[in-house]
Amino acid sequence: MDGSILISARNISKSFPGVRALDKVNLELRVGETHILLGENGAGKSTLIKILSGAYAPDEGEVYIDGQKVTDFNPGVAQRMGVSTIYQEFNLIPYMDVAQNIFIGRFPKKHGLIDHKKMHADAAEILNSLNMKVDTRSLIVDLGVAQQQMVEVAKALSIKSKMLIMDEPTSSLSERETEQLFATIHKLNSQGIGIIYISHRLQELQEVGDRVTVLRDGQFIACKAVNEVTVDDLVSMMVGHSVDEMFRRDYQPRGAEFLRVENLNGGKRLQNISINLHSGEIVGLSGLVGSGRTELARAIFGVDKYESGKIWLFGKEISDHSASIMVEKGVSLIPEDRKNQGLALILPVAENIVVASLGHLFPKFFVSKNKENEIAMKYVTELRIATPSTTRLTQYLSGGSQQKVVLAKWLCTKAKIFIFDEPTRGIDVGAKAEIHGFMNELVKEGAAVLMISSELPEIIGMSDRVYVMRSGKIVTELPHTEATQERIIEFAMGADEIKKNRKQAEMAKESSK
Amino acid sequence: MKSKTSSFLLKVPSAAWVILLMMIVCTVFSDKYLTLGNIVNIIQQNAVLLIVALGATLVLLSEGIDLSLGSVLTLSGVNCVIVMLYLSKLGASNGLAMILGVLAGLLTGALMGALTGGLIAIGKLPPFIASLGTMGIGAALALVFTDSSAIYIDNPVYVFFGQKLDRFIHLSLLQYFSMPTFIAIVIFAIVWVILYHTSFGRYIIAIGGNEAGARLSGINTVYWKWMIYVLAGVLAAIGGIVLAARLQAADSSVGVGMEFDAIAAAILGGTSFVKGKGGIAGTILGVLVIGITRNGLNVVGIPSLWRPAITGSIIILAIVFEVVYSQWRERSK
Repeated sequence: MDGSILISARNISKSFPGVRALDKVNLELRVGETHILLGENGAGKSTLIKILSGAYAPDEGEVYIDGQKVTDFNPGVAQRMGVSTIYQEFNLIPYMDVAQNIFIGRFPKKHGLIDHKKMHADAAEILNSLNMKVDTRSLIVDLGVAQQQMVEVAKALSIKSKMLIMDEPTSSLSERETEQLFATIHKLNSQGIGIIYISHRLQELQEVGDRVTVLRDGQFIACKAVNEVTVDDLVSMMVGHSVDEMFRRDYQPRGAEFLRVENLNGGKRLQNISINLHSGEIVGLSGLVGSGRTELARAIFGVDKYESGKIWLFGKEISDHSASIMVEKGVSLIPEDRKNQGLALILPVAENIVVASLGHLFPKFFVSKNKENEIAMKYVTELRIATPSTTRLTQYLSGGSQQKVVLAKWLCTKAKIFIFDEPTRGIDVGAKAEIHGFMNELVKEGAAVLMISSELPEIIGMSDRVYVMRSGKIVTELPHTEATQERIIEFAMGADEIKKNRKQAEMAKESSK
Repeated sequence: MKSKTSSFLLKVPSAAWVILLMMIVCTVFSDKYLTLGNIVNIIQQNAVLLIVALGATLVLLSEGIDLSLGSVLTLSGVNCVIVMLYLSKLGASNGLAMILGVLAGLLTGALMGALTGGLIAIGKLPPFIASLGTMGIGAALALVFTDSSAIYIDNPVYVFFGQKLDRFIHLSLLQYFSMPTFIAIVIFAIVWVILYHTSFGRYIIAIGGNEAGARLSGINTVYWKWMIYVLAGVLAAIGGIVLAARLQAADSSVGVGMEFDAIAAAILGGTSFVKGKGGIAGTILGVLVIGITRNGLNVVGIPSLWRPAITGSIIILAIVFEVVYSQWRERSK
């Protein structure tokens, strides 16, 4: 290969317990190009960039930088070899000024002391080259997100990086800020710097990208020049056609309306959300990570405040809104992060199961251990929770059993509305099917389920209806007969808008003729 | 397969080993140490510390800390005695003055606890900062109310709370028991029931074990967290009331440093700063470690100026031992 290749990863494989995150993946970055890394949630993008930046070691395969094979890779070595990574969470020190953040660890010195004059002058020079007008003495906390991002870029330039990895850099930028970022990217490209750019947004592709590599389920699918592919091609590359899992759903006519949300607003992640949920149905909530799905669930459940909007529960509008009130009324949330939010791992199974219903199980304030264990045992048997006893500490249970304990906790409260956030993430196949079975049973008995999931087969296989969210908005509602992986991806990634815009542009062209 | 002895040894808390060691050392150095009179003395002197330490343990279990307990103890004792003397001056009977005085003391503890807990649970201040502030407030109020001295009290009905039981009932067995010990045992039983047999107790441990999770389970974490500090304040007040009865005086600085002894006792007893780990049974042992150390230094005849340094060192060593020991225990499970 010639010297125009900055970094090349060949046949990279990486496994985590239970998942093959990457399977013989290839990626190469040329001098002066922006290379887009595209894929669904969990396709392996993050793992790949962590390998390129030295945070993970690959199980198999090699990484070459400037044609040299890299051994003993770690983040420090990566940086010295010219690879800088800008994560979504910036690595900046909030109460230090801009110049210090840029030169941290490599302060220019004079007589053994930090040469502040030179540091600020150098910092100003770099920032100028990025067209960024900011005082090098301002503190990071006082800057906006876009400015902080530029400080990260400046930091990378100050160590003479030749390659920049950017993880969803536009996810928290406004449109104008995004344009400025793209201008900066083009400028960096023209100086020969290569950029690996991770994004979920198909619209951005054409604007910044030169080439695009698509990953799916840890597999390398294709690497194409951006101007040679259409949005449809990309969508079909991203979507796997194999739906080999079996889902058992007994569809039935839905019952009374249990939950109605109207015009809910709260920050960028919740914009004018209106949804409803009826007895006897499972409603899927799809969308990319960060599209506002979890925020919506938390707002409905009363844990996070929202700015405006109305919520009806069982036909009655609720005025006072907090998690304890919602639980009392029969709403439950099975959070994505069950270890940190759903369970107290150091407590026994029985205590976790009854903790949300202590109030009505033991109205006289005194807890009876015998009754508690009896109740817990009932759910352990019913849900087939694999535990030797109800006094076993929850931390020693498998992921699937832990999820069942969370479910038992809510069954114990006699909840009628179940909000599942990623119900089967990190759970083995057998337990997954069981959880799906329980969801089916729940709605058959008249409960209502709102299910957030990043797994499209799960959404399609389990839902009566699917809402798709993008950037804090509900963009469409699909009945299960129309919900296909392609359609959901199109809406989730904004391909529908690209198509619409193109059609409008064509129509405008025709009418001007 | 592990032998029976080793699995039994695993269950013995580390504080018990420290107590055993201290007692052996002290017995070797002084023949006055291992006498019934001295042992009774140790228990009686530390009854108040146990009551306060129970409160400190509950707070630690919820992943909080309360530095104000010592000054709440002082202030409650002061208010109790002041109210009692005032009522007596107005001509109230000893019994009535005692009841209202004790209520005033308990109310003081509850209010101070409500203030600290309110700042933490509702105001979202870090527990360390909030209780550091209320510690100062409590200490200052006690100094102001007493004009920074001691107020003596001789109300016989009240003073009874600090005395040996055989003064009133002439049974030779009762010479080994005193009211403070008896009260401490009753309070321990009550706290035990609260912690292990009521929903409140469950909420304390659930909040310590996983506050976000408790909140998502619909538990009103703000309210219950608040109540934990109120309870700890009331327990400190009981300690202050009993202590003033024993000393027959409300002293303006009697509780200085008590919060640290209480927290140290809880930690020595195996209660951890994180994740709601531990319990109140160990706190008894922790209190005994501190009590036995103090008493031992006294009996052995260490100069009094050196004692705090030695006590401090022993507490540090005991805590290091507890940490190492519990890690070792985890591993050999």
